[in-house]
Amino acid sequence: MASSSSSEVTTVTERRGIPAAVFVDDVQSYLSQSSLDVNSALAFFQERLQQYRVVEMKLMAQQRDLQAKIPDIEKCLDVVATLQAKKGIGEALQADFEVSEGIYSRARIEDTDFVCLWLGANVMLEYSCDEATTLLQKNLENAKASLEVLVADLQFLRDQVTITQVTIPRIYNWDVHQRRARQAVATEEL
Amino acid sequence: MQQAGASGSDTEVTWEDQQNINKFGRLNNRFHELEDEIKMAKETNDNLEVASNEVILTDDDIVRFQIGEVFAHVPKEEVESRIEEMQEGTSKILEKLEEEKESIIVEMAELKKILYGKFKDSINLEED
Repeated sequence: MASSSSSEVTTVTERRGIPAAVFVDDVQSYLSQSSLDVNSALAFFQERLQQYRVVEMKLMAQQRDLQAKIPDIEKCLDVVATLQAKKGIGEALQADFEVSEGIYSRARIEDTDFVCLWLGANVMLEYSCDEATTLLQKNLENAKASLEVLVADLQFLRDQVTITQVTIPRIYNWDVHQRRARQAVATEEL
Repeated sequence: MQQAGASGSDTEVTWEDQQNINKFGRLNNRFHELEDEIKMAKETNDNLEVASNEVILTDDDIVRFQIGEVFAHVPKEEVESRIEEMQEGTSKILEKLEEEKESIIVEMAELKKILYGKFKDSINLEED
């Protein structure tokens, strides 16, 4: 088997704090270049794998949060759009809303140009319907963009996990192979 | 989750092989995500179907239709057209998801051929 001149081929060294996995072209040259023995190399890769797993959990939690936030923003946009549509008609909008779990009350919502938006941190601001729609749209776009970046991060991370998961048995097998070869030579010399 | 493990000691893994393995892993993840999304879309479709039937059967002129977190009093015809719109939307989404799933299945089969071709028994690409 021809061994390549460099034993590490990485196109990206890291992505947003996530180190790229070392790809080993040739186990022998990797071990001599890094001057690691087999067990240290294996331990290093195992530890890397653990670190990747921790980051994966964190990213997946962030992904779940964003995935819950997006439909919420879409619902708000729906309500504001409905209020705006009702404006010209002159009829008040009647709605049943939840006061407490299982308990609903009726509300009459007159024509209005203003809505209040909950901004978080116990803050609620009044906006005109148009401003509210613009703000909600912007939040929705930001959330979707963040989600896209997050998904790309996760993909990158999972690639690094796969690379490491392949490297570990390769080094292990190379070691087994070496031991068998040494044994064969030893028994020949007897 | 499928794991790509190379247990052979003779075949070397090139960067291209590694990228194929990575791609297979990514496609497999996306495949499972799609299965979940398709299941949810089908459920939504069924719910809309049930809702639509209920609305047709009801005698009331006003139906409480959920908008956001509240149930607005909406005239029956408007509810019917809204539900129809939602059904069209979900059907389109479902169609797109099914298409993506099909193309992923094809791609994964291709990669399996390539990887099994090179690594034979040294690699396992099946679901455990």
